[in-house]
Amino acid sequence: MTMSVSSPTPGKGAAGLFTVVSQLCGAAYLYLLLKAAEAWQVVALLALLGLGFYLLEKRASISDYALDSFARVPVLAVATAAIIVLAFPFVVGSNTYILHLLIVAQLYSVLALALNFQLGSANIPNFATGASYGIGAYVSALLAINFGLSFWLTLPIAALAATLFGFIIGIPSMRARDTYLALVTIAFGVVVQQLLNNFTWTGGPNGLVGIPAPSLFGHSFADPLFVFGWKLPSQANFYYLAAALVVVAIVTAHRLHGSRIGLAWNALRADEIAAKAQGINVAWFKVLAFAVDAFLAAFAGTIYAFYVSYISPDNFTFLVSVTIMTMVIVGGMDNIFGVIAGAFLLTILPEKLRAFEDYRLLVFGVVIIGFLMIRPQGLFPQRMRRYGGKP
Amino acid sequence: MSALLQVENVTMRFGGLVALNNVSFSVARGGVLAIIGPNGAGKSTLFNVITGVYRPTSGRVTFDGAEITGRPSYQVVQRGIARTFQSSRLFSDLSVLDNVIIGMHTRTKTGVLGALFAPAASRREMAACVDRAEALLKLGSGDLFEQRYRLAGTLAQADRRRLEIARALASQPKLLLLDEPSVGMDETETDALIADIVRLRATDPNLSVILIEHDMRVVEAFPGHVMCIDYGSRIAEGDFAAVRADPHVQEAYLGKAAAHA
Repeated sequence: MTMSVSSPTPGKGAAGLFTVVSQLCGAAYLYLLLKAAEAWQVVALLALLGLGFYLLEKRASISDYALDSFARVPVLAVATAAIIVLAFPFVVGSNTYILHLLIVAQLYSVLALALNFQLGSANIPNFATGASYGIGAYVSALLAINFGLSFWLTLPIAALAATLFGFIIGIPSMRARDTYLALVTIAFGVVVQQLLNNFTWTGGPNGLVGIPAPSLFGHSFADPLFVFGWKLPSQANFYYLAAALVVVAIVTAHRLHGSRIGLAWNALRADEIAAKAQGINVAWFKVLAFAVDAFLAAFAGTIYAFYVSYISPDNFTFLVSVTIMTMVIVGGMDNIFGVIAGAFLLTILPEKLRAFEDYRLLVFGVVIIGFLMIRPQGLFPQRMRRYGGKP
Repeated sequence: MSALLQVENVTMRFGGLVALNNVSFSVARGGVLAIIGPNGAGKSTLFNVITGVYRPTSGRVTFDGAEITGRPSYQVVQRGIARTFQSSRLFSDLSVLDNVIIGMHTRTKTGVLGALFAPAASRREMAACVDRAEALLKLGSGDLFEQRYRLAGTLAQADRRRLEIARALASQPKLLLLDEPSVGMDETETDALIADIVRLRATDPNLSVILIEHDMRVVEAFPGHVMCIDYGSRIAEGDFAAVRADPHVQEAYLGKAAAHA
């Protein structure tokens, strides 16, 4: 096989060094962003990020080099990531606010990855991810409060209930498309929220209170976590739980993307008629995208409910769905890493720029329009499947 | 030998417009049928009826011993009919290789649960697809194999046509429907296309082909069975010489060309 001269493959040592250093830099950046208290610090960090993307845009070889490096030493790359994720709470220490932000960011990462199956892979607009998230949260909370089921049991039940919901809202997608389908999903989202608001058994607008903390091997998640003599606040329990869920979501996304399912979604995104002519049952694959989305979103909902121990319909509004959609568009459609980056940025930035709190929906709107006009592929564009070969 | 595809009295109406009027024909196993006719005669509509894009207003389509009238497209492909489109419909934001692999959709079977819980089997299936796709890309004229990691949308016109054929072949069809495969090709490329089709049939003598063509050079290369359609009706059928000599055909379509021939 002839290797092209223009893009040299990094040596094993260089690749290893790059993998570790780049991930540490990423973690440091995240830490600084979380710690930034003044508006000017946030703005400076954003400027740094902008500069980074400018360089990536100018020199395509940088991202090629990065991807080659990670592909060269995959075990080291994953190990570094795992250590960073596991060690982060120790670095943050007893700052519960930062831990809270990280938990929310991770849950949103899962929700964004869930929506990515539709919006990113198959280009199906779905404004009901927030509703699936809510169904997951309510089903597990109701089971725990009324029947005393443990968190670990409610998790799969809530996911199955939401998947059923996903199939139901997927049915209109067989007939409606594009804007009309978007309207249908908006309606579904509003209906779910109104039902939660009006049923008595869901607690109405007051929601559900007193969701018991989960426990594992006798360790309650409401208690501080002791590791090798270190004491971490109780939020650390949920931080690790959410991190585990993010791993599940990444593995799910990666496996589906790399299989014929992901290709079929991409095919119907590009051209539905041509996809049918390849033997793809387009209607079924659209419904399937809704079901997978709801399944993952329900996991996130369950963890959220048990984390905050109090949920109300206000947690699962249309705004939540819009937020998730913004994360996917900003991060990069059909790019797993991009979607997670989008979720983290759009969870942390609004918290840091509290001055704009009242204009959140407006800002999201401007961000979406801006991205669709200037950089429709998002921060991290979709990558071509390589199948071990070199382009 | 029995016919592989049998189209009986198919009529397709769109409101007041009769796109196909009582059309009947059949294609033998391993045979080639060339369909000619002026623009708008209903040739592509016929493909759409056979492949289940449209359900005919009346009439029957039988393939490989089973009735497929109005069956959804994906089932028709499953049974062994693959097609290309007149205006090439590639998945333009995916690589050339991915386009061919998607063509194998009906010949692979990993589901969501399989992809999630049996990743090794799913990877093996994809690896086999990659091997077969690369072999298909090497098969035809042109250098599609060398371009396999290009986005399909950036290909030159002739390569787009070739990729459409490779993608259709990926489903291991018994019947291949080619809708004007030579559009946008120059003479050399058209000759290579003819050679490609000849070679395909030599490798798989059971493969049947229906060609819609405007380029008489291509039709002449497969002169055995030619059908001419005009205003939705079959006006002539037979070998190329007979169809060309038919006064109805000359009147409808070949008039000037025949005068020069």
